[in-house]
Amino acid sequence: MKKLFVLSALMLSSALSPAFAGSGPIKIVLAEEADLLEPCMATRSNIGRVIMQNVSETLTELDVRGDKGVMPRLAEKWEQNEDGSWRFHLRQGVKFSDGTTFDAKDVKHSFDRIMSEKNTCESRRYFGGITVTPAVVDDYTIDFSADPVQPILPLLMSLVTIVPEETPLEFIREPVGTGPYKLTNWTPGQQIVLTSRDDYWGTKPEVTEATYLFRADPSVRAAMVQTGEADLSPSISQLDATNPATDFSYLDSETVYLRIDHNIEPLNDVRVRRALNIAIDRQAFLGTLVPDSALLATAIVPPPTLGWNPDVKVFPYDPEGAKKLLEEAKADGVKVETPITIIARSANFPNVTEIMEAIQAQLQEVGFKVDLKFVEVAEHEQYYSKPFKEGRGPQIVAAMHDNSKGDPSFSMFFKYATDGTQSGFSDPKVDDLIKRASAAVGDERAKLWSELIAYVHDDVVADVLLFHMVGFSRVSERLDFKPTMATNGTLQLSEIKIK
Amino acid sequence: MLKFVRTRAVASLISLVGLLVMVFFLSRLTGDPAALFLPVEASAEMKEQFRELHGLNDPLLVQFTRYVGDVVTGDFGESLRKARPALDVVLEAFTWTLWLAVITMTLVAGAAIVVGSLAAFRAGGFFDRLASVISLIGASVPDFWIAIVAIVVFSVNLAWLPTSGTGSLLHWILPIAVLFIRPFGIIVQVVRGSMIGALSSAYVKTARAKGVKSGPIIFVHALRNAMLPVITVLGDQAASLLNGAVIVETIFGFPGVGKLMIDSILQRDFNVVLAAILVTALAIFVMNLLIDLAYALLDPRIRH
Repeated sequence: MKKLFVLSALMLSSALSPAFAGSGPIKIVLAEEADLLEPCMATRSNIGRVIMQNVSETLTELDVRGDKGVMPRLAEKWEQNEDGSWRFHLRQGVKFSDGTTFDAKDVKHSFDRIMSEKNTCESRRYFGGITVTPAVVDDYTIDFSADPVQPILPLLMSLVTIVPEETPLEFIREPVGTGPYKLTNWTPGQQIVLTSRDDYWGTKPEVTEATYLFRADPSVRAAMVQTGEADLSPSISQLDATNPATDFSYLDSETVYLRIDHNIEPLNDVRVRRALNIAIDRQAFLGTLVPDSALLATAIVPPPTLGWNPDVKVFPYDPEGAKKLLEEAKADGVKVETPITIIARSANFPNVTEIMEAIQAQLQEVGFKVDLKFVEVAEHEQYYSKPFKEGRGPQIVAAMHDNSKGDPSFSMFFKYATDGTQSGFSDPKVDDLIKRASAAVGDERAKLWSELIAYVHDDVVADVLLFHMVGFSRVSERLDFKPTMATNGTLQLSEIKIK
Repeated sequence: MLKFVRTRAVASLISLVGLLVMVFFLSRLTGDPAALFLPVEASAEMKEQFRELHGLNDPLLVQFTRYVGDVVTGDFGESLRKARPALDVVLEAFTWTLWLAVITMTLVAGAAIVVGSLAAFRAGGFFDRLASVISLIGASVPDFWIAIVAIVVFSVNLAWLPTSGTGSLLHWILPIAVLFIRPFGIIVQVVRGSMIGALSSAYVKTARAKGVKSGPIIFVHALRNAMLPVITVLGDQAASLLNGAVIVETIFGFPGVGKLMIDSILQRDFNVVLAAILVTALAIFVMNLLIDLAYALLDPRIRH
């Protein structure tokens, strides 16, 4: 009888347990601390990972798990007016964590604040060269007119975090937002705690509280999830990713490439640039210095991006062909023996030293004279961005570019247009394609981006595209969560399920 | 005595000012915080505005004069990265570092003096050899390796201690243990060498001849005289801990001043770098002063 009782009690409890599971606090360990929790800086990854869509929400949101494109968030729907401006219809009944009601005036203030000269909000960079004017129509309707007309304005609004109208223009340290969580503890250097809100407008997420911890060492992050001190680490080292039950890789939207400065001989010669491309055995890196699941790049943006061109093929590894191209160029008087400097950033990504040394060796193999120079982040930036130094020699900058936004416009202008800050060349056709693609919509937009990607890769041979990188994450078995391409910059707690 | 302190203070102040001037100009000449705060895609206007907001567009001398003026009134400026007072950021981190250094060095001093003295008492004996091997290993093993191995053994495999972080007394054990090893190894050697010298001196022989027991001979007669070089080395080791134990802080996620300083240098967060240098330099100055006072206490020849 007693046994039966125990047995039935056990059965009852196991039948009940799913009801208890499925909600609770979690701990997340990140590599880099968020030094500022300013909503208008949420497009920077170390800040966005904590507050973007958790504390601060945006009008729209890009679907990174499916192919729904731009989805509603604080805006329920939007349409383009006859004059090209955009009208957003806002969600009603939304409250900020300070108790005030969300309306169109908050949206206008959030936008004005980003554009203000009293601060240096980083999301302003997405509106470079565009004049956007918000106009409140009524409490829950707002128009955005843009000059020139912005076909991707709804996508751009996924980068504008909404703060209450009362927020000062200067940087704040205690973000107030409409999101499912509010900031409840921030001990600099130690932890940040977000707690779920009872008065959130949307579905209440399963994670009731998230504690963010920061550890710079990847093996410590991996160990913490293993010992249960943390539940999730979005980035661990490939070497530590050994447990198939908890560790997996994901395409992380970073693209590694060599930016070529076309202004200086011999890099001004397309044959020389082509020789650089076919002298590198990209495939040999996969599974050795670069994770096996990384992709060989044919564009500066990763495959899920609009207009990514499947017809563009990776340059073949052809050292003999490279030698021949160099000879041809040399016969035409191009100074192919001039030493070329590759500038790379220390600790930019795993194995960067070994990868760059291997590339240097492969280039020297076909006859290039290559010096390799490692610099820290501040100096790297001086080589990477304009204005370039006068009197410099031929230079190649190894860099990593991140675009998880789904549209190439966040990359192409900066990297390839004549006025782009990291562009190493000037080509009228490229400028024209970027201009037209940026203004186009739908299939036409995709087609123009595809055309640009092919032209830059095959005809201009603008740079040496190398790899679309992968990250490795460790997720505790008590959680149900798969990182996506966006996890670098946004880690939505509401997407984390507790088993 | 006061005169001595004053002379030392003036000398230290001069070197501190020199250091601050050098760091002020070098850090500004080698990198632009605007380019580091904002993403590479930020426009030239945005970077310009960042510099304007933070007064980085003014001539260097103007910036320097302003900085000196502010510092004299106790204002160390704002952190460019964190939008809060630089001094708060530094003091917060330095408190952790100070505790770490004080606890570690106290343990090191106690343990190294006992082990080194005992080793010296029977130089060449079994305990001496054992102590030498252990201290040599301690002095030469890289601390990042020890730290990672300690985490794997004590946190992951044995589950006795947390891997990293702060929050309880248990969190202090691994960082302190890792920091303990190297200075312990070095100081055991110094104590041993110094003690062998002291133990073979005439006054120890006299004490032995008078029938004084081994314990009092080592710890009363010889030790006091053998302490001067030990204190010098202890000071050196403590100074390097006060500068922040970068590797240990990084691995254990310990919010000390070392990692803060490195990060701030990389990000060209000038005000934090300068405040951190000032605070750690002051701490080292105070410590050196204490060491000098300890000399005087131990050795009447210095006092007079």
